[in-house]
Amino acid sequence: MTKSSPKIGVYGFTGCAGDQLMILNCEDQLVDLFGATEIRSFVMAKSDNHEGELDVAFVEGSISTDHQLERLKDIRARAKVLVAIGTCACWGGPQAMKLGEGGWEERYKKVYGNAKITAATAMEAQPIDAFVKVDLYISGCPIDKGEFLSAASKLVAGRHPYLYKFPVCTECRWKENPCMLYEGRFCAGPLTKAGCGAVCPTLGLPCVGCWGPTDDLNVGAEYRLLREKGYDPDEIIKKIRKFGGSGVADLVKDLEKKEGEK
Amino acid sequence: MRALNVENLARVEGHGGITVTLDGKKVKSVHMDIHEGPRLIEQLVKGMTPQDDANVVPRICAICTLSHKFAALRGLEKALDITVPEKVTMTRELMMLGENVESNSLHTMLLALPDFLGYPSAIAMLSDYGDDVKRALRLKKFGNHVMEVTAGRIVHGENPIIGGFGRYPTKKALDEMKRKAHELLPDALRVVELFGGIEYPEYPSAETLFMSVNAPRKEYGYYGDTILVSNGKEVSADDYKKLTNERVVAHSFAKRSLYADKPFTVGAVARMVNMGKRLDGQAADLFKEHFDERWMKNPLLNNLAQAIEMLWSIEHLPEKTDMVASLDDPKVEEPRRQTGSGTGAVEAPRGVLYHHYEIKDGLVDVADIITPTAQNLDDIEVHMKLCAERMLGEGKSDDEVRLGLEMVARAYDPCISCATHLVTLKRL
Repeated sequence: MTKSSPKIGVYGFTGCAGDQLMILNCEDQLVDLFGATEIRSFVMAKSDNHEGELDVAFVEGSISTDHQLERLKDIRARAKVLVAIGTCACWGGPQAMKLGEGGWEERYKKVYGNAKITAATAMEAQPIDAFVKVDLYISGCPIDKGEFLSAASKLVAGRHPYLYKFPVCTECRWKENPCMLYEGRFCAGPLTKAGCGAVCPTLGLPCVGCWGPTDDLNVGAEYRLLREKGYDPDEIIKKIRKFGGSGVADLVKDLEKKEGEK
Repeated sequence: MRALNVENLARVEGHGGITVTLDGKKVKSVHMDIHEGPRLIEQLVKGMTPQDDANVVPRICAICTLSHKFAALRGLEKALDITVPEKVTMTRELMMLGENVESNSLHTMLLALPDFLGYPSAIAMLSDYGDDVKRALRLKKFGNHVMEVTAGRIVHGENPIIGGFGRYPTKKALDEMKRKAHELLPDALRVVELFGGIEYPEYPSAETLFMSVNAPRKEYGYYGDTILVSNGKEVSADDYKKLTNERVVAHSFAKRSLYADKPFTVGAVARMVNMGKRLDGQAADLFKEHFDERWMKNPLLNNLAQAIEMLWSIEHLPEKTDMVASLDDPKVEEPRRQTGSGTGAVEAPRGVLYHHYEIKDGLVDVADIITPTAQNLDDIEVHMKLCAERMLGEGKSDDEVRLGLEMVARAYDPCISCATHLVTLKRL
């Protein structure tokens, strides 16, 4: 390690730690990755963590307490580049599936009753860009090793990574899978960002949407298509929202409004 | 009064800390603080289809993702009155062996071992223990490979579904897996050798109770319909609430469990206490060689238990791949009812995990998930308190006490994302 090694921090908030785990899962590259950079902070992986200026901060997870929000702001202030890793950091994740719908307080009460928890003040989970500027989004549930490594190696070299902007359907065509929507199966592919390699359709299973919303998504078209296939409106909305978080909250609201007017 | 804190507990999954409150030399309290934020997953899956639930709930935790998937499938299939064919059962057993190897190798070698050898991380061990770190990475990679082939992906694989699998592993993939398992046997043996040779400090020792599933066919294993308690009792998994009695405490978003008003331990050491006699192969020989009174008291021995268990998993992988390969691919089993309830109990690497569901007209009405770390938290605090008292009594420095407590907490292989979960509770 030299003085000029890029300074990296890896942080996690509310989620499953799967994106940090995927970094640790880069078994063949881990030694090189730790060698080529100065990992200043990675609490899940090591004890000697030093907070300070960072070239790149990778942040996993959504924000669901006041303490986390403070820490996130501190990381942002110290980092030249802040990268959201994983669907939770990018869109809020499954815990943000009811974002904008209300009812969080009642759900919280059903879980914790009236018990006084002094650990921190909780709030409905939101993606990190609800609070700070995010420079790059690497989505995924969890992130893909290949996509992460290619982005990380470009970032530490001071270059801009290229990430897919199209839906997973493109990857599904590359795999020459038959389209499940033609068969009338509920596939979230058209709304979902590429990056996983269309793993579920390749196993004969419909996409569940875990990579989060793709760029320029058309929620209305998917909704109408699935209505034509005979799906219940409530089930469609629930499935679209399952991993969509902040990326679909407003779109779904507009859609529900339009459907209500019909 | 003063406090001795470990602000951020490193080398564990999720975010936690430890607070020790001292009155002179006397330890007033030891708290394991959970900084992880709440998600309210059990409330969010309400109204979902069972399969949607099975897609979402493994996201509670990345490290035990397949345990969550398997527990959910077991609970949901019972609720929907689905019995799966043998090939499904065998493929699920195979995926659980993979998760066990991945998680146990990560925890023992990369997260826990640095403490015993005096390093801040496995990366820092590279220059002196390079071969062992690489060995750990090989084992971990293999565990991941087994999960990828069976579950479709390393983390959050969607291939296991209600009633079966999307696609079964090919004969070629299974043969390759079998070959690799044979190849890695010396690595797994070396891990046991390392952890068998450690002098475990006695500071945290105290008697406790152990709970694990009673695995089927009187074999060692990672799921079951009844729960064994080390006091000789056996309880149906459907009665999990009697075993876990969850409650809320002020210092964390994770709930706590007591059995008969006493804390208890789940995890590899509990499985060994309750089912160690069922081990076979070299794992059985090494278990006989190392198992003694200390295991019943000292949580640090969980590390050795995980090492022996990982060896057992590697030893059993080849025959499991043969079994999966020998059976024809069945079609996916459909629900035989749309209303019902069921509880699935499985052994996540860190202990018993329960998923209980009530399904009404084809949709999830109630979901109750009790994770192993939530069950262990009370016992972690008991053993940490003793450890702090004894170390301070011997005049150890604050830094030594801090490390001692971290080692106790880490020995349970806590999964803090999992523990911060929540359940519909009786009002206080």
